[in-house]
Amino acid sequence: MNGLLTAALALGIGAAAIALMGQSPVEAYVELLKGAFVGKFNLGGTLEKFVPLLLTALAFAVASKASVFNVGVEGELYLGAMAAAWVALSVKSVPAPIHLILCFGAAVLAGGLWAAIPGALKAHYGVNEVCVTILANYVAIFFTSYLVNYPLSSGLGAPQTTPVPDHLMLSRIMPPSMANSGLFIALAILVGTYWVVHKSTLGYRLRAVGENRHYAEHVGIDAKATMIWAMVASGAFGGIAGAIQVLGVFGCFVDNFSPGLAFDGMLASLIARNDIRLIPILSFFLAALKAGALGMERFTGVPKALVDTVIALFILLASMEGLFKFKMGSRPARRG
Amino acid sequence: MSQSPMEPIVLMKDIVKDFPGVRAVDGGFFDLMPGEAHALIGENGAGKSTLMKILYGVYQPDSGVITVKGETFPHQSPGEAISRGIGMVHQEFMLVQQLTVLENVILGFEPRVGMGKIDFKAAEERISAIMDGYGLKVDLRKKVNDISVGEAQRVEIVKALYRGADVLILDEPTAVLTPQEAEGLFQVIRSLTSLGKSVIFISHKLNEVMEVASRVTVMRQGRHIGTVEKSATSIPELARLMVGRDVFLGVQRSGSAKAGDVALEVRDIYVPSSTEHSKIRGVSFQVRRSEILGIAGVDGNGQSELAEAIAGLRPVERGQVIIDGVQVQNLTPLQVRQAGLAHIPEDRNTRGLNRTMTVKENLAGLAFRKPPISKGLAIVGGALKEFAERLISAFDVRPPLADAPVTGFSGGNAQKIVVAREVDSNPKVLLACQPTRGVDIGSIENIRKELVKVRDRGTAIVLISADLEEILSLSDRIAVMYEGRITGIIDADEADEERLGLLMTGGAVNG
Repeated sequence: MNGLLTAALALGIGAAAIALMGQSPVEAYVELLKGAFVGKFNLGGTLEKFVPLLLTALAFAVASKASVFNVGVEGELYLGAMAAAWVALSVKSVPAPIHLILCFGAAVLAGGLWAAIPGALKAHYGVNEVCVTILANYVAIFFTSYLVNYPLSSGLGAPQTTPVPDHLMLSRIMPPSMANSGLFIALAILVGTYWVVHKSTLGYRLRAVGENRHYAEHVGIDAKATMIWAMVASGAFGGIAGAIQVLGVFGCFVDNFSPGLAFDGMLASLIARNDIRLIPILSFFLAALKAGALGMERFTGVPKALVDTVIALFILLASMEGLFKFKMGSRPARRG
Repeated sequence: MSQSPMEPIVLMKDIVKDFPGVRAVDGGFFDLMPGEAHALIGENGAGKSTLMKILYGVYQPDSGVITVKGETFPHQSPGEAISRGIGMVHQEFMLVQQLTVLENVILGFEPRVGMGKIDFKAAEERISAIMDGYGLKVDLRKKVNDISVGEAQRVEIVKALYRGADVLILDEPTAVLTPQEAEGLFQVIRSLTSLGKSVIFISHKLNEVMEVASRVTVMRQGRHIGTVEKSATSIPELARLMVGRDVFLGVQRSGSAKAGDVALEVRDIYVPSSTEHSKIRGVSFQVRRSEILGIAGVDGNGQSELAEAIAGLRPVERGQVIIDGVQVQNLTPLQVRQAGLAHIPEDRNTRGLNRTMTVKENLAGLAFRKPPISKGLAIVGGALKEFAERLISAFDVRPPLADAPVTGFSGGNAQKIVVAREVDSNPKVLLACQPTRGVDIGSIENIRKELVKVRDRGTAIVLISADLEEILSLSDRIAVMYEGRITGIIDADEADEERLGLLMTGGAVNG
């Protein structure tokens, strides 16, 4: 409920900004909606953006449940994408389904192990994971950049690998858009994550550690191991998101392919307060805004950067916990 | 400032102070003569610190009058207290770590020259004069970060004197000091009093009190028990006054079961605290099945560290902890529990409960690992609820809502959740730490009955409590801790106020 009010307020302020630019807010938002939802190409574009947002948001949320703040999902996404591309290109003569599983397995491993490092440093030595993961992003991104420019370069002008075999590509579900069956993988992970966090003993440990580490230790839960495993899961989700970008969208590893996908995912998770049930809704909302922004820019004079402004406002307003509570609670308080 | 030497410089009469649920000070009385060192002693929660915080203006009394230097008023603010010449050194030092000693001393009372510029030179001269006069040497240019605890305490004293204090309140000043530093502090107190300052010395260490004080006021349960001349009293008498006979008279002993084999043995263990090595030095004891060993003592003498070391939450430097024949020192908390320990921790809000989780999730904190609550990785919702409801009714948790978050529960009912979870694990050894602290009277009775029931079922119980009445009414034997050691273990039947008082205050070491 508060989320809806917050979204409306952010869009309202955005509308005021559009009006100040001398454009019609109604027209701009209509084009935004059209750009996000009308026609297979547009709706597909929204779904295509939704998949990595959802997965990286879940990645951030899972680690946050153990109160580890994984700002390194972007790096894990790159490493997962690279691992998937490498396995797709270098493993030969295996049946396609197994080959596909190997690709995703490699992405899970690359993202998970990479994330385990800051997790272990945090759990055992109290090293601030935010610092480590931010720095690890640069290492991961530049490392993939090196690989794609030198040893794994296709040899063509663009810094990208040779295309992966066609039989490994995830099927397109809404041509001509690039929406692909990665969507179903992401939805399956969403459902699985919800079950694990809220209905399983693993989730009980995870939440116990995140909410009160002293309590967790007292009842005999290994807080350090739990934190590290939460990071591994988080990194694995990031890796899977990267693999889907390679096998579902680009068909090869492209240098610098992500415009901060994982950071948008992190924002979705933050706005949802890491609530697994709200994460798909917010991820979808952000994906629609991002996808619709192109249409808006194309058909009105409003630049698509405005959407980023609206998203930033949304986060700002969402983080003001008492914004609407205060308005509603203040009147009786004043009377008394 | 001219007053006859026989007039008290401070007089507090009929002071009453209520906190929600407790009367911390009830008819408080205190008088302080110019130039004397006056000790204020009592157990935990006797109201010593509260009474002195009222004098310093931190708390406003509900009734009573305070007279300082002939001026009488119902209460004052800390600012007024300072301007009337009262200074206080708290247990927690109020210093800015990043500033120098000089800057800390003058903070808020800076001498100025010209356009609001601080006159550091004048400040330094004045502070040096104070330091030289009372033998309080500290390097003025060092950052507080870089000085020792003893030096930081001297800075606090200098700060109070710099602000013009004639009356210095020292709240348990030796608790943080090494014996050598404490000796240095006593020198300072002597030079202060010899130069006409008055010192109030809050403590529960009787040998120190006998060393520095000229008079001693004893408080118990918020009341003024008596004020005696040092020359006319002795450590045993003070111990008796402090602990009081009424505690022993009111106690209904729980009656003992027949004690069985040794279930827990602690053998000569050394345990660090968070700030020092070997806070516990060479503690040994045994507890048998169907026996309650009470561990008494003034808070902070190593009881918390002992409990955490047994439970696997704190490393053991050396020595052994043996549960039912198995060595468990330095194992993980889970391994210690598997050896047969259950632990009611002293702080239910940080360790005992996960406040954001529901009642049923907290109750299942141990049982969630096994069927019927879990099947494979899955938690079986129905079984969890059933389990929680069984414990809720068995332990009378109110309101009986398994799905409610624990946050809203009162202290007593929250504690019943902890007790239920730990007792239900069917332990060989139950470590119960301050099990009824901050708990309402109804729940206290409930929890104590439960402990007796558990003992009669054959469990060995270690009961660590600062509440002497609790120790006396439940224990079969009583061990007393003082400064990281056990000063004595006595049968509950033989416990009397003098023996316990002496053991609790380290007096026995001298006697």
